[in-house]
Amino acid sequence: MPRDVDMEGGGKSDWVRITSVDGFSFMVLRKVAMGSGTLKNMLSSDSNFAEALSGTCPLQERAVVLEKVLEYLAYKNTYEENGSKDDLEHFEKRVPPEIALELLMAADYLES
Amino acid sequence: MSRNNVRGPTSALTEFLRESGITTALVTRRVRQGQGARADPQQPAAGPSNADGENAEDGSAQDAANEEYNSDKLDESEDENPSAKKKCKLSKKAAEKAKAKEKAKLKKKKGGKDDDSDYEDDEDEYTALSKSMYAKTSPAKPPVGSFENCAKCEKKFTVTRYTVAANPPPGFLCHDCAKATGTDPFKKPALPRKRKNPQDKRKVVNFDDKELPSLASMCIKIISNHINDVEALGNIGQVNLDEISRVLARNRSMTCENAPLLYDIQNTKLTLYDATKLTPPAFCTLASLNPGVESLRLDYCGRINDSALSHWSGHLTSLNRLELLGPFLIRIEGWKTFFQSHPQLTGFLITQSPRFDLSCVESLVENCPNLTELRLAQIGKMSDEFLPHIASLQHLEYLDLSEPSSSLSSEAVTRLLEAVGSKLTHLNLSSNDLLDDTVLTEGLLPHAKKLSTLILKNTPELTDSGVASFFKGFRSNPPLHHICMERNHNLGDKALKALLHHSGKELRELNINSWKETGNEPLTTIGNLAPQLRTLDVGWCRQVDDFVVKAVLEGCQNITNISVYGCNKLTINCPRKHGVKIRGIETNAI
Repeated sequence: MPRDVDMEGGGKSDWVRITSVDGFSFMVLRKVAMGSGTLKNMLSSDSNFAEALSGTCPLQERAVVLEKVLEYLAYKNTYEENGSKDDLEHFEKRVPPEIALELLMAADYLES
Repeated sequence: MSRNNVRGPTSALTEFLRESGITTALVTRRVRQGQGARADPQQPAAGPSNADGENAEDGSAQDAANEEYNSDKLDESEDENPSAKKKCKLSKKAAEKAKAKEKAKLKKKKGGKDDDSDYEDDEDEYTALSKSMYAKTSPAKPPVGSFENCAKCEKKFTVTRYTVAANPPPGFLCHDCAKATGTDPFKKPALPRKRKNPQDKRKVVNFDDKELPSLASMCIKIISNHINDVEALGNIGQVNLDEISRVLARNRSMTCENAPLLYDIQNTKLTLYDATKLTPPAFCTLASLNPGVESLRLDYCGRINDSALSHWSGHLTSLNRLELLGPFLIRIEGWKTFFQSHPQLTGFLITQSPRFDLSCVESLVENCPNLTELRLAQIGKMSDEFLPHIASLQHLEYLDLSEPSSSLSSEAVTRLLEAVGSKLTHLNLSSNDLLDDTVLTEGLLPHAKKLSTLILKNTPELTDSGVASFFKGFRSNPPLHHICMERNHNLGDKALKALLHHSGKELRELNINSWKETGNEPLTTIGNLAPQLRTLDVGWCRQVDDFVVKAVLEGCQNITNISVYGCNKLTINCPRKHGVKIRGIETNAI
């Protein structure tokens, strides 16, 4: 259910779709997805990548990992801009240790 | 104590002393006696054991005071004892008693000191009485309007609210005498100073942007916390592997069990940042599981021994760079066998190895002529005799001979630099406290052509003008990238100016910690003259102020770290910039 909201970003959808290898898809705000270096390159308007044109990034990650990555990106988006980091929640507590290794590899790939 | 008998809460000791009849007045007098004795050296030491040293009454004021005092102090001898015999008998007893009191007094003083340690007194802290014991307040002042005899001129006078207690006590002074002593009778009693909160006393401010931790770093932390549940790390990449090794070291949680997670048959480079818990068999395992390793660095490898090293000799055949921190247990023979089996060694870097001696160096130089990196830091047996051997290593680029137990001599180092200086890029001769300017002017100046890193910490013989003339004449060498000359107290303006002039435009890292005499003006030029600077340490350079930091922040675009411990001229208004860590702002202005 992509909402086609025209934003100043050249008429592109404000939301992007990220799909996992096991068939789940996640809708995230474009600026949240931009927190990852790799996704940013994929979605960059300068490039002619299929991902940029369709606004969909298929990633070779399991949904459970991908969900956590996107959760982190949202967390980063929330806290990176506002200056006070005193009330920072500890994201570490939200990562189940059993996916930590897989998450590390995903994080490494996505440059987040 | 006070006139109105209202007392605040007192400590158990005070209570005890009061019950024992030890009053503040007594203690004060005793102290006065101590001062009197110091003032008049001819007087036999008026310590408590000198009960028999009662002074002959010769009428001098000093003696009179002392006598009065002495009699006060030794309670029994208050009335000059009529018979010498009795006095003799008494004196011992008195001495004992006085001794006990002295002890109590000391105790009390000590207690008082603890309480009042924050008051800044101009008196010597160790002899000063605690505030409450001052005679000024303690002996009851006669009521205003009554008559009193002056303690000095013995004239009768009227007590007013401005009447001053005689110093030294006891008694009070008439107006004239009070004036003569120079004390201001109208001075208001000083308000009790507020005690500083210990946390506030030394407030150090660090400007440190907290970066949001990256997801990868968080994962690494989680993995490290659960490292013992991990069966294999899989393909997480060399950088992450190294990062995990680093985090494990930080927690000191690398053990024989989890260390193999970092091993791989394809590893060519392996770094364990804290190998404290690895035993000699674990080091053998390391060699067996990483047969292809070429560069090996082990920090805190205190338990490595000859057996492990000889195992390496057979298994780590492609090893060409070895860096060890703290291989204490390796014996001379162990080193020699290792060198013999590794003639291809290009890097040998060890720190703290007390058994490494001259014969080891001979063996190293003989077997491994291709060495480009050599570190023999904190080697107990290091001496000038090592240097001729090192001089025959023709390919040396990195040389670290820092912190030997006894310093190398300037002549020997100069000769070494003549031989190997031309290729050196990194030189560390820290804490060789005999090195003087000749090492720079005769050793480095004519021979060093490629040097980019110079580390000379704590070499107190270097002089300001010597270092200045070195940098002025150092035209043969391109600008240095990294200069660390901390704890050289004699260096200052001239050295800094010449240094910045020679190397400023390429300088990445500069440490002039403790150049305490450096003036404000040359410090302010750092920002302009060293635009590439990334790390700067100007700790304990007393003239560093907000403008020096401002110039650095504006002039050096890549600066990330500034250390300013002990720069008291900085204020809380010290400029700051996003992404730049400024550490150690310590100011009274906060």
